[in-house]
Amino acid sequence: MIKDITIGQFFPGNSVIHKLDPRIKFVLTFVYIIIVFLCKNFVSLASIVVALIAVILLSKISPKLIWKSVKPIFIIIAITSLLQIFYNKDGTVLFTIGKFSLYTGGLYMALFTTVRIICLVIASSMLTYTTSPTMLTDAMERLFSPLKVIKINVHSIAMMMTIALRFIPTLIDEVDKIMSAQKARGADIESGGIIKRGKALVPVFIPLFINSFRRAYELAFAMECRCYRGGEGRTRLKVMRLAGRDYVAIAVIVLLTAGIIVSNKLLPAVI
Amino acid sequence: MQNDNIIEFHNVSYRYEADDGEEKLPLVVNNVSLNFKKGDFIAILGHNGSGKSTLAKLSNSILIPESGKVLVNGMDTADEDLSYDIRRTVGVVFQNPDNQIVATIVEEDVAFGPENLGVPPEEIRKRVDNALKAVGMYEYRGHEPHKLSGGQKQRVAIAGIIAMLPECIVLDEPTAMLDPRGRKEVMDTCLKLNREMGMTVVFITHFMEEAVLANRVIVMDDAKIILDGTPKQVFHNSELLKKVGLDVPETAKLANDLRRSGAPLPEDILSADEFSDEILKLLRRK
Repeated sequence: MIKDITIGQFFPGNSVIHKLDPRIKFVLTFVYIIIVFLCKNFVSLASIVVALIAVILLSKISPKLIWKSVKPIFIIIAITSLLQIFYNKDGTVLFTIGKFSLYTGGLYMALFTTVRIICLVIASSMLTYTTSPTMLTDAMERLFSPLKVIKINVHSIAMMMTIALRFIPTLIDEVDKIMSAQKARGADIESGGIIKRGKALVPVFIPLFINSFRRAYELAFAMECRCYRGGEGRTRLKVMRLAGRDYVAIAVIVLLTAGIIVSNKLLPAVI
Repeated sequence: MQNDNIIEFHNVSYRYEADDGEEKLPLVVNNVSLNFKKGDFIAILGHNGSGKSTLAKLSNSILIPESGKVLVNGMDTADEDLSYDIRRTVGVVFQNPDNQIVATIVEEDVAFGPENLGVPPEEIRKRVDNALKAVGMYEYRGHEPHKLSGGQKQRVAIAGIIAMLPECIVLDEPTAMLDPRGRKEVMDTCLKLNREMGMTVVFITHFMEEAVLANRVIVMDDAKIILDGTPKQVFHNSELLKKVGLDVPETAKLANDLRRSGAPLPEDILSADEFSDEILKLLRRK
């Protein structure tokens, strides 16, 4: 169960999406998330969905993985949609059953929220699925490097993120091992209410924390042995240089944004 | 300064710091003097707590001796300004490969060292490819380290060190957490580094079979060096080795036992091949 976590996972590949400059990917994902919330009519909603599907197809990431990334948020989607359907009283009544009437406003709002949340989650997973964490944190380091002016050590933050991402799978393995070890000694981890289960996790997390400190200590030695001295004077294996495909990607997102803004002006807003 | 030694230990002592209010901990390295010659393959043997791992950390200024001096190519490890140059001369690989890998992709991890040294990107590419080929992990360059086996991870860690082009590589029990196959992979890699690339290798271990392959074996017990010589010289002292909790390799043990029961076998048998040759000779004579 615990191995199903796909957050921050990277699936190496050779597609155009994989090869895009990570800085561009990062910024474009951010812009995409903003325009998802600008959509107010069906044409723009359809266009962002089409754009996302195009990206998925180009990246050659299997639909199974996409499904995996959306699955955990279905409860959130269900709750928000139901709330919209029950409490939104805008627009005209579609039908009434007993005390409950369904309004068009509620239905549309539910639909838009659902599509928006799904797009948002898939878009951000696409970013991590197609960009190696090191490249991603490198990109962030470069994008945020102006913050050095206000004495924020961008390199250290990026390094911490890389290490955190690097150790997620290692620590997940370790949790699995500790859980099995505790179960083998008769610990009951998987039954009982939330509080009981929470308490049962204490003997899992204490060894995990202690081990993490030991790991951190050893990692620090290993990094020193490899002459790590912070960001100063470091070079990189992969040089980031914008290529033709990056400009195409920028053009696409600019057009998409413009199209959505224009369609909002021309077409009546549904929500 | 012309010098044949890459690392010199001069009367080195070291102890770990005790917690506040507690008594001083005993010395883990007690007045040790040693020279590691360039191009050698040196195995350091000893059971847990004998101080052998501390030697590794003393050799590239991760730890500074309490008394005495450690010189790397004539540079004093106690001088903080030199620690950077010392570490690019002597690379250390530790026991747990999981805790040495920094990046999430094999080749990016191998690049970490050269990146820190400020090597230009095209040169890093070359070094990473060469290092990965040297340890036989080139096909895995795009893989995620956590999906590799223990032996493969350890070879990636070794590649990460050799990409920095050190003159000497110190491995602190690199095989302790590996299965027999992983152990063999790592050992073969180290032999190749020494024989084909001329790198000085210091291999710290508690497996006898690994030490046999070195051209110099040092045995540590209780913070001191008790034996130092070629494998044949060292494993000849089976009584002393047994006393400090180490065992001579199986073949040497069998040869010793046979000799004791009257078989006229020479005293320096180590490998299985030598052993079978000698037995054949004996049988033919009869």
